Amino acid sequence: MTSEKESLSRRRFVQSSAVAATAGVAGCSSLGLGGGGGQLNLMHAFTGGDGAIAAEALFEAFREEYPDIELDLEPIGGGGNQNLDTVVANRLSNDDPPSAFANWPGKNLQKYEGALGNVDDVWADNDFEDAHIDEAVELHQQGGSYRATPMASHRLNNLFYNISAVEEAGVDPESIDSPPALIDALDTVATETDVTPMTQAMSGTWTITQLWAAIMQGQEGYQPYMDFIEGNGDQAAVQAAFETMAEILDNYIGDDAASVDLTASNSNIINGDAAFIHQGNWAAGAFRNAEDFEYEEDWGAVAFPGTENMYCLHFNSWLFPANNPTDELSKTWLEFVGKPKAQIAYGKNKGAIPTRTDVDMDEFGPYLQDVAEDFAEVDYRPPSLQHGLAVTSEKMSALNDVISNTFTGPYEPEAAAQGFMDAV
Amino acid sequence: MRDIFEEQESDDESPDRTADARADGGVTRPGRETASGLERVTNALDERFGEDFVESSPFWFPAFLLMALFVYGAIFWNLLISLTDYEGFLNDPNYSNLDFEMYVRAFNDPNVINASVNTLILVIGFTLATLVIGLLLAILIDRGIRFENTFRTIYLLPMSLSFVVTAQFWLWMYNYNNGVINIVLGVVGLGPIDWLGNQSIVLWAVILALMWQFSGYAMVVYLAGLRAIPDDNYEAAMVDGASTVKMYWRVIIPQLKGATISASVVLMVFALKAFDFLYALVSGYRPPAGTDILATLMVREAYQNTNWAYGSAIAIILFAMALLIIGPYLIYQFRRDNL
Repeated sequence: MTSEKESLSRRRFVQSSAVAATAGVAGCSSLGLGGGGGQLNLMHAFTGGDGAIAAEALFEAFREEYPDIELDLEPIGGGGNQNLDTVVANRLSNDDPPSAFANWPGKNLQKYEGALGNVDDVWADNDFEDAHIDEAVELHQQGGSYRATPMASHRLNNLFYNISAVEEAGVDPESIDSPPALIDALDTVATETDVTPMTQAMSGTWTITQLWAAIMQGQEGYQPYMDFIEGNGDQAAVQAAFETMAEILDNYIGDDAASVDLTASNSNIINGDAAFIHQGNWAAGAFRNAEDFEYEEDWGAVAFPGTENMYCLHFNSWLFPANNPTDELSKTWLEFVGKPKAQIAYGKNKGAIPTRTDVDMDEFGPYLQDVAEDFAEVDYRPPSLQHGLAVTSEKMSALNDVISNTFTGPYEPEAAAQGFMDAV
Repeated sequence: MRDIFEEQESDDESPDRTADARADGGVTRPGRETASGLERVTNALDERFGEDFVESSPFWFPAFLLMALFVYGAIFWNLLISLTDYEGFLNDPNYSNLDFEMYVRAFNDPNVINASVNTLILVIGFTLATLVIGLLLAILIDRGIRFENTFRTIYLLPMSLSFVVTAQFWLWMYNYNNGVINIVLGVVGLGPIDWLGNQSIVLWAVILALMWQFSGYAMVVYLAGLRAIPDDNYEAAMVDGASTVKMYWRVIIPQLKGATISASVVLMVFALKAFDFLYALVSGYRPPAGTDILATLMVREAYQNTNWAYGSAIAIILFAMALLIIGPYLIYQFRRDNL
C-alpha cells in the first residue's frame, strides 16, 4: 500500500519536473522573440504625481492622432530613472529592445553606444533642426546621426521660495545676485525667523551634485563651468564653489536633511517650514499640485543667484533603439513627441516647457510662460551636470561617489574638488 | 536520512527487478560476456557512483538538471563574464581572451574595499548582536512567563514584514527632528543624533534596524533548542547549587551549539542580502554615505555604468564571501553525517 502511494507520487514528481524543465527551456528560447508585431512598446518612468498625469495626457493625444496604433506601455517608476535604466539595460543586452524609451540625451547617449538606431530621416522630414533650439540639435546626435528626439525641457538653475517666509525675514529674492549674497539672505532668514533658511534633500547625493553645479555657474560663471565639464577645469574655481556650498550645507539646511528626500523638501516649502530650495523646476509641478499654494502669491521663483543670464538645460527625450522591433511605428512616435501637440500635452501637465521655439504658450499658465520667456532670452544654456547632458553616466556616477565620500558631512571642499577634477 | 531512503528504495522494487539488479551488479565477475555495451556503461556508472545510480536517475536527474542550469550554470556564466572585459552595449562579451583584470581592478578600487569592509561589519556585527538578543529573549520566554504565546508572536512579527516596509519605518524613526528615537533619547537628555547623516553611525543604525527585524527569528530557533534540553539538566544544576546565571552559562548555552550554528548561517545570509533594506531606505542604488555594501556597489557598476564584467567580478567576490560563511557549516554538517 505505502509503496504504491510512494511510486505514484514519484511518478507525479518526475512528470512535474519534466513539465517544469520544458517550460524553462521554452522560456529561454522565447527570449528575444517577444514583443509582438504592430504594438508600440514604450518604456518610461513618468509614474508619480504630475509625471503620471502628463504621461497620460501625452498618450491620449497620440491615440487621438493615430487611433490605429496600439500602445504597449511599460511605466517603470522608482529610484529616479534607475529602475527604468536597469530594465532598459537588460532588454538591450538581451537583444530585445523596446520600440522607444524615455531618457536623457547628450553625453548620456554614450552609455548606449552601439545600441541606438538612426533617426536622421525623422529630423529631416519634419524640419526639427529649424524648429528646435540649437542645443537640442547638438545634444541629440551621436556619431554624426540623430538617435533621439526631445519632448520637453526643465530648467535646473532655479531658486524657489515661500513668499510669506521671505517676507517675514524681510528678504527680497529678486535682489540676491550671487551665491555669497544668497548666504547673507539665508543668514537673515535664520536670525529673523524660525523657519529653516534652505531645505535640501540630502537623502541622495544627486541634489548635492546639482546644487554644486548651480553654485559653480553662479559664482564662477558660465565658462569655468563649461571648462570643468570638458575636463579642463580650474581646481581653484571648483574648490571655491565647494567652499560656498559647505557654508550653506553646514549652517542653513536644517538638521534633518539626511533623512529628507525630494518630496519632503518640497513639502517644507509648501508648509512654510523652509524659505528657499534649489531644484529643477519639476518642483514647480509639486507646488502647483498643492492646495491653496499659488504662484506669485504663496511661492515664487528666481534664477539661482548669479545665473540670471543662463538656462541650465535638462531634456526629456525619447531614444530610438537599434534593431528596432517596430521600426516605422517607433519613428512615428519619435516624430510625434517632437511636434507641438505632444509637447503641449506633456509639458503643461509636467511643468516643463517645449523644446521647440514655435509653440504657443497660451495653455501653459503664468509660471511656465515666464520660464519660456527666460529660455528664449538668456545668453547661455549650459547642459545639466546631474541629468545626463554634461558628462557620461559613468563620470556622473564617479562624481556622486566623490560627493558621497567627502561631502555628506563632514564637508571637505579640498578633497571634493580634487575628487571632481579626477573624475571628469 | 540516507538510510531511510535506501530502505524505501529497496522496498519499492519488485522482487524480480531486485534479482535482476543483483545479477547485473556482478559485472566484475569473470566469465560474464552477455552484457551489451549499454549495460556495461550502466554497470560502470553504478559501480562508480553507487548502487542504482542509473536506475534512479529519472527521479533525481530532472531536478538536478534544472538546478545545474538555472543556479549553478548562472553562477558559472557570471564567473565567465567576470573574466572578460564586457561593458556597454557595443559588443557581446568576448570569451576568447579571459584574464583576472577585473579582479585586479576591484582589489585596487577604494570603493570595493570600503564596500567589502562595510559588508563584513554588517555580517559580523548584525549576526552576533542578533544572536545575543535572540538568546536573551528565548531564555526569558522559556522561564514560563504569562502570555508566552503572545510575547512570542510579538517578537517574531517584525520578521514577517518585508524590508521595504521596515526601511520606511526606520527612516521615519531615525528622522533627526521628529523621529521617535531622538524624541525618546531627548527625554533622558541624550542626543539628538543624526542617525542617517553621520557616516560613522549610519552603518550601526542599519544594523540596529536589521536586528530589530531578525532577533525574533533567532529567538524562535533558540527556543526550539531550549525546549529540547531535558528538565533534568536544570534540576541537576540547581541541586548542585549553581546560580541561575552559572546554570545557563555552563549547562544550557553549551547545549545550544547546533541552534547557534544554524541561526547564524541564516542570519549571515540575510545580512548579505541587506540590499533590499538599503534600496528601500533611499529608494535608489546609492545608500547613505558609509553604508555602501558589495550588493549595492555591484548593481551600480552593472546597471548605471554598464560595466558588466566589473559588476560580475564584484558579484563573484560577494559569492566567495558567502561561500566562506556557508562552507564551514556544510563541512560541519557533512562530518556529522547530516548531509
